[in-house]
Amino acid sequence: MENIIEVKDITKVYGNQTAVEGVSFHIKKGEIFGFLGPSGSGKTTMIKMLTGQLKPTSGTANVFGEDLANLKKPSAKKRFGVLTDNSGLYGRLSIHENLKLYCNLYDVPESTIEEVLAAVNLQNEKKKKVSALSKGMTQRVTLARTLLHAPDLLFLDEPTSALDPVNTRHIYDGLRALNAKGTTIFLTTHDMEEADLLCDRVAFLNKGHIQLLDAPDRLKKQHSDQTITVELLTEEKVVLPAGAEGAERLHEWMKTGQIATIHSNEPSLGDIFVQVTGRVLA
Amino acid sequence: MNMSIKRINAIFQKDFKDFSRNSAVSVTILFPLIMAFIYKNMDTVTLDTYYLLFNMSFAIIATFIQCCLIAEEKEKNTLRGLMLSPASTTEILAGKSLLTFTVTVIALGLTAWIAGYEPTNMFIITAALGLSTLFYIAVGTLLGLLANSVMEASVIVLPVLGIFSFGSFGLAFAEKYPILQALEYLPSSQLIELARKVEEGAALSTVWPQFAVIAIWIAVAIAATIIVYRKRMVD
Repeated sequence: MENIIEVKDITKVYGNQTAVEGVSFHIKKGEIFGFLGPSGSGKTTMIKMLTGQLKPTSGTANVFGEDLANLKKPSAKKRFGVLTDNSGLYGRLSIHENLKLYCNLYDVPESTIEEVLAAVNLQNEKKKKVSALSKGMTQRVTLARTLLHAPDLLFLDEPTSALDPVNTRHIYDGLRALNAKGTTIFLTTHDMEEADLLCDRVAFLNKGHIQLLDAPDRLKKQHSDQTITVELLTEEKVVLPAGAEGAERLHEWMKTGQIATIHSNEPSLGDIFVQVTGRVLA
Repeated sequence: MNMSIKRINAIFQKDFKDFSRNSAVSVTILFPLIMAFIYKNMDTVTLDTYYLLFNMSFAIIATFIQCCLIAEEKEKNTLRGLMLSPASTTEILAGKSLLTFTVTVIALGLTAWIAGYEPTNMFIITAALGLSTLFYIAVGTLLGLLANSVMEASVIVLPVLGIFSFGSFGLAFAEKYPILQALEYLPSSQLIELARKVEEGAALSTVWPQFAVIAIWIAVAIAATIIVYRKRMVD
């Protein structure tokens, strides 16, 4: 499958501080790729480099097969979108007026506004001033703005930080719908559950380096301790090895109908991050 | 270089709506008009009086309003959205300047009308005022890019307003302090000198040095603005 992003040995240094060092990865077309790490690990720096807002100190990167320097062309800018937790909307203007500006900047018909507002369930709020909206609604308007030009590639920088679960769900639904239409998504987050829910592959970023990169399921299997937890009807919880020894005991309990629940003990992405980096996500 | 009029117009229209709902900034356009009414009723209204009003309009409208508009875009993180859109640097800066240019030109026209200023050569004076407007807008843009908030913008703009609006008054002390002779090259001083020559019947061929000095100020201000803008874009 075609690679939308290819990053080779990229480094970014601010003064005497290294934000990203020797990072290499690629993202395939249609993939949701998670760039995970705690605050200050270099996630936003990577997005800024890949969108032409920052020049790498060394290394190379291609987006849509183009060098980063070519991303400033209007034709390249029309192919990607950026969604952050900082809306960048005009508070004194209505939702419709904000979106109309971006329709004209991206040269898309105004009728698209109705479609994108319907996609984020805000079609009845279009005359409301942005300054009067809740944080969750504002973030949905920002998502709607990103959907206007149907980008081939979407960069998401902590898109659901500070959102309640209901609004987070709205954003996830919108992103999945967009991805189903073929948009490749580059997501940075420190929320491992979010990454697990959305991402096809994730990279763990720690102190500017990628320490692990794989599909969430494979990572969980690789770091599993190969045990299962069985809860008996007596409420006793027993941890069994997943091999032959455990199978015999499990078989016995099943025959005698003593089992209430069975859970495999694969770690969460957060557990794996702590195991690998020794750092807690925050 | 391809420029999209549609994108420039989109930014202008957005700014117009935003500005008309921002009374804290939009009300400043009334100040030069009120001053024009006051000065009109004075016993003697000289050429210096008219140009005091014009230089005040440049400072309060072209520079201050532009500075606030740009600083607010930065503070609210909306400038980043424009920078990431297909709009080029030129389109964004042109779009962002169009509203201030229009408002300044209207205010200058009303100020001249209220104060009763009728220049001998309308063409030269209009061209000089138009060019000066570009300079003050460029200065406002530059200061807005340097400021981190509207509050900061409204403070850092003050010394610049003082120098460019009232700097020409310093020439009165140039004999005592020769260093003040440099104030002669301020765009505001050049504008007054140009107007004086025009009133004496000078043609375009006579006032070109004043135009040249003002044009150099514009070129320097625009170059500095573009450098700072591009630096901010990759910061």
